[in-house]
Amino acid sequence: MESIQYAVFLLGAIFCAYRAIVAKRILSATIYLACISALVSATLYLLGAAQVAVMELSVGAGLVTVLLVYAVSVVGDDAMDPASVIPKPLAFGVVGLVAVLLGWMAFPALRTTAAIGSFDLASSLWQTRVLDVWIQIALIFSGVMGVLGLLSEKVPGAKEEVEQ
Amino acid sequence: MTLTPLDIVLFGIIALLGVGFYGLLITRNLIKIVMVLQILIKAVLLALVLAGKLSGNLGLGQSTAATVIVADTIVAVVGLALAVQVRRRLGTLDVPKISSMRG
Amino acid sequence: MAEIIVALVIVLPWLGALVVWLARNKHPRLQHTLAVLFSVLTAIASLALFMFASSEAVEIQLPLGKAFGVLTFVPDGLAVSLTAIAAVIGSLAVIFSVDYMHGEAQLGRYYFLVLFFIGAMTGLVLSGNLLFTFFFWEITALCSYGLISFYNDDSKAVAGGIKALIITQVGGVGLLAGTLVAFVELGSFQISDVLANAASLPAAALAWMAFSFLVAAAAKSAQFPFHTWLPDAMEAPTPVSALIHAATMVNAGIYLLARFYPAFEAVPGWTMSVLLVGLISALIAAVSALIATDLKRALAYSTVSQLGYMVYAIGAGGVLASQFHLLSHAVFKALLFLAAGSVIHSVGTRDMRRMGGLGRQMPFVRNVFIVGALALAGVPILNGFWSKELILEIGLEHSPLWAYGVMLFGAGLTAFYTFRMVWLVFFGKERDRLNVHRAGSAMRVALGILAGGTFVTWLFFGGLNNLLASTLPFHELEHESLLELVTAILSAPATWLALLVVGLGAGISWVRARGYRLFGGDWLSPLVETSFGFDSLNRFIVQGTYKVAEQFSRTQTGELNWNILGIISALLVVLVVLWLGA
Repeated sequence: MESIQYAVFLLGAIFCAYRAIVAKRILSATIYLACISALVSATLYLLGAAQVAVMELSVGAGLVTVLLVYAVSVVGDDAMDPASVIPKPLAFGVVGLVAVLLGWMAFPALRTTAAIGSFDLASSLWQTRVLDVWIQIALIFSGVMGVLGLLSEKVPGAKEEVEQ
Repeated sequence: MTLTPLDIVLFGIIALLGVGFYGLLITRNLIKIVMVLQILIKAVLLALVLAGKLSGNLGLGQSTAATVIVADTIVAVVGLALAVQVRRRLGTLDVPKISSMRG
Repeated sequence: MAEIIVALVIVLPWLGALVVWLARNKHPRLQHTLAVLFSVLTAIASLALFMFASSEAVEIQLPLGKAFGVLTFVPDGLAVSLTAIAAVIGSLAVIFSVDYMHGEAQLGRYYFLVLFFIGAMTGLVLSGNLLFTFFFWEITALCSYGLISFYNDDSKAVAGGIKALIITQVGGVGLLAGTLVAFVELGSFQISDVLANAASLPAAALAWMAFSFLVAAAAKSAQFPFHTWLPDAMEAPTPVSALIHAATMVNAGIYLLARFYPAFEAVPGWTMSVLLVGLISALIAAVSALIATDLKRALAYSTVSQLGYMVYAIGAGGVLASQFHLLSHAVFKALLFLAAGSVIHSVGTRDMRRMGGLGRQMPFVRNVFIVGALALAGVPILNGFWSKELILEIGLEHSPLWAYGVMLFGAGLTAFYTFRMVWLVFFGKERDRLNVHRAGSAMRVALGILAGGTFVTWLFFGGLNNLLASTLPFHELEHESLLELVTAILSAPATWLALLVVGLGAGISWVRARGYRLFGGDWLSPLVETSFGFDSLNRFIVQGTYKVAEQFSRTQTGELNWNILGIISALLVVLVVLWLGA
């Protein structure tokens, strides 16, 4: 029973991922990305990571979608679909090989029995990995600064026009 | 050979990774590349939580996953800001054209 | 306490490098002062280290992960003496630079590289971890390249720098290969582990290590067949030539051979190869120095030749003799280079055919140059005599007779070309109208100290011997005091034979060198121009590297998708390797 739930969610995620990549318009891809977020979030919940599932849902299906829509609105949604630079068979081949090898090697690792450890996210985050939290704060700070800097730069062409 | 649910998750992760890599190779649009990176990150999140579950230390898996979510959101934000700037200055989001443009 | 001094000896010059660079080129006097200050402090620290010399490893605890081992430094006798040489001569070269580089542009870059180099050199000899030895080795190569190409508008300087870089990097590969063999076989990078367990390594692995280290040492010390980069490196400013290419960096190869001698002496054919490499280098370089017309090139050939003597000594089993000669050579060769630098700085040319009779106008420089020349030729009382005789004696006892004969002949050649140089530059009539000015005071200080050193450093033999014998547990060295050395040398017939040869060489030189045309100059010079055919080997290496680099640059298409394909292919390769290894 559990397997079927997993299978459904993951197959759905893979299907949405493929559709997102080959979508002609970026807005369609954005919707597919949000679907992937939802399905992955459900899988995470099934695995037992409830808090991360909620974070993933809100960030992936919420924040990232809003960001992409904003970016598209600024940039303009040209529906372009030119041929790819790398021949498709080559891409298929390389990626396929990587996937097969990864699967082959990771598969036996699942047979090992688990040791019982701590389950709690809160204690893990705030005690064992406090350094991570500090790094995340620094990351957010620098990211915000970077974006502000990037978005406030004027295009040099526009400036010259104004001066003339 | 019976497939446990965790095996299915593993295959799902690898498939998502594969689709993500394929997408990175195929895409020519800068914003699409940022999106495909998001897909790859979701596969990574699944892998982290799976590893945590297998070793019994789900707390550690979750906290690492939380860190990854924060990091990758910042990457997406900065990447999109860069894409907007590229569009403004160079006029196009087509990756091959951006690579060969000079100045 | 030892940790602090070891850390100081490495960190002080690096800190100085940063500070001088930050002082900005607008304040050259400040830069000069700071550079001198930091280098002198380093010299004092290195001398203080003598009190703490022991074979115990000093551990500076930096958590680096299991893959790299612990950052250990071993201040044993070998390391401490080389550190002192590097730091003291480094400080003298910096003092000299105050006058030599007066008014030059980009002083910040110059002093940065020199100080960075001094720190890296001390780190190299003090390091107890092979990986860090390699790391410091590469830093010295980088600084050497930066300093040779310092006048980067001059295409000859740039070409010389790149040639030096590529050839010493070939040596670096040898060092890395040996290091990795040690790690694979023993699981550790620590030098003491390698020396202790050398006998337990499989013979093939040990031989591989021994010969790769020999390649590394030969490339770094400009020995045959890698000897052509040193003469071309003379485009560097002269204090750099004195410091890096006479007294310190080229000694790194000798240090490597001396350090690992107990591990490799049992490898069949190794000691003979070392002996031959030293012998051939000494001979070829001495002959080339006879014909050279550029003052610095002649000194460069002389350096190669003397390093050949040191390598020969190691091949014959005389580690102590080689270190003793290293000390003497560092002092007198630095003296000769700096004196030559004074001459070049004042007359503006390096060509000896245009000099002549300068002794009248630059008496102080003439005197110190003669002191250095006497030491180089091996005239008694000066330090070169004692160390060279010791090497020849060891050669007589432990190497084939024909080898000893060749080295003896080399000693005669040394005297010959040395006095030729002295005559051409300082005596005789002026061949060209040159504008001469006297050496500045900073130059005189450095030169005076070094000249004094040539009279005195041989007195440290007893101390050096004890230091090395007591702190190097794996080398079998006997305790021999200075008095024993003196009596042994003075009473050995070999010594008088050598003195005879030296006298002969000097005499011939005085008679023949009045005209600078040398007998055989017509057929010998074209051979020497191409370094006996070996320049083509080195040119081949340099051109080959350029061609391969150009081919590889084609894979950088600059297109994102192709780059990503490259990354994923690399991932594929890693996975395949892991899969096959499982």
